Amino acid sequence: MQNAKDTFYVTLRTRLATLNPARTMVLRAVTRPGIFVADAEAPMAQPALDAFALSWSGLTADHQLPSILAQLTCEIGYATAGTQANAGLDRGRALEEMDYEVLRLLYPYSAQKMNYAQTPAAPMETMIFWTEPEFSPIIPLRDRLSRIAKVTVFAFQEPAES
Amino acid sequence: MSTTTITPMPAMPPVGRRVRAYFAPVNRAAQQPTLFDPSTNGQFSLDAPPAPWIDFGWIESFVRKSASKFGELVTGSPGTTQFQLRETVDASVSFRFKAWSKLTMALASGSEHMNLIVPAAGGQANGSGSKGVPPVNLATGSTATFVALAASDAVSFSAGSLVTVDVDYAGQTGYVGSAVSAAYVQSAAAVNHDPDYVRRVSFNVARVASVSTSSTPGLSLAQPLLAGVPAAGMRVQPVCGFVDREGGSFFQEWSALFVIEGQQGERILFHYPRLQAMAGSSEQTAALIAPLERIALSASYRALPVIDPNDGAQVVCFRSFLPGANTLV
Repeated sequence: MQNAKDTFYVTLRTRLATLNPARTMVLRAVTRPGIFVADAEAPMAQPALDAFALSWSGLTADHQLPSILAQLTCEIGYATAGTQANAGLDRGRALEEMDYEVLRLLYPYSAQKMNYAQTPAAPMETMIFWTEPEFSPIIPLRDRLSRIAKVTVFAFQEPAES
Repeated sequence: MSTTTITPMPAMPPVGRRVRAYFAPVNRAAQQPTLFDPSTNGQFSLDAPPAPWIDFGWIESFVRKSASKFGELVTGSPGTTQFQLRETVDASVSFRFKAWSKLTMALASGSEHMNLIVPAAGGQANGSGSKGVPPVNLATGSTATFVALAASDAVSFSAGSLVTVDVDYAGQTGYVGSAVSAAYVQSAAAVNHDPDYVRRVSFNVARVASVSTSSTPGLSLAQPLLAGVPAAGMRVQPVCGFVDREGGSFFQEWSALFVIEGQQGERILFHYPRLQAMAGSSEQTAALIAPLERIALSASYRALPVIDPNDGAQVVCFRSFLPGANTLV
């Protein structure tokens, strides 16, 4: 299932770099697209602003198929306080822009599963696919607005992964 | 010498989790089903069924129905039932295949199931596929998992492609198809004297794992051919998919075995020596998370009779029970 998680993250990161090259973040002194996997980074006291944080939560599996079909729940969290130039008064607009980016990042709703544990990364035999996002209500906290988009990622376990 | 004494348990209700399906071809020309002997093979490994049974994996919504009718002989006044008699023996079984493949689609379709041969250029459009590219001849040295070809022929295939391997149609009538009776030809004219017809309906298909054009040119297959080592005269054509139709006059007939494993080691087996499709092709969806749906193949069959040589009875189904260890029987 790690290959599915890696593929989902890298797919979204690649799409974000094309969709909005200006959405970047500096993490561990590296400038990169503004999306990261929360459990692969140091814990943060507060969610990073103007970036997408992927958190993996639920897991179910259908064992009664020829290949196990795993369902992984991914929560895409994002928050913004608007821009300094506008004294944060544009935070609603900034959040709407991120909402729209989530919709664009997730479409098309599938990707070739890749094995990123090897170099160069190698394509595997199946596709991963995912649901359309389910958006939570906006969560206001002082000067911040945040939201979580929940997506369920499906992946067939391949013999090479067992 | 004496053995240790078991601690017997009372008979317990079987608790099953799921049903696994196995099918084997019926020799239609000889009217010979494949019989499963539970006394010999009842405890077979579910992942390795005895030949020629083919593992179709876990199925869902498995339902058996007895449609046998009973009558009574009433005599006297007031009328009193004195005897019962069996007026008809009939049974059906239905379920859904979870996975789509050549075999599951064909068994669920009810009628002829065709391979979509890669079309030749300029062919006339047709719902079940147009005239295919010319077949290539087998070279010597083929096996069930290797199709030997001339290097000049092998180069036209690619790893990952699908192939059908069977004989040319040569004007014969009756059941056609290697390993499995795939269709019934009433006349050569009905199939347009098409030399590709047998390969079009054949179950002898496989996916190509790799192609070699060097010392031993040919196609290594990712799965064995159902008919085993290709016979002389078989030829190879590329396939791009499969098609079935609502209609046709042919009925798929297969021998079937369904297995439920209980949680205490017991095993229930349902063996239908002859199952004929009794419905056209249909599907049923199961919601994953809206709007995603898993699409299953619906299949329903009528059981046809065989004679049990143990007592000469005409029966349509055998239900066997292999008890768990140490339970009283």
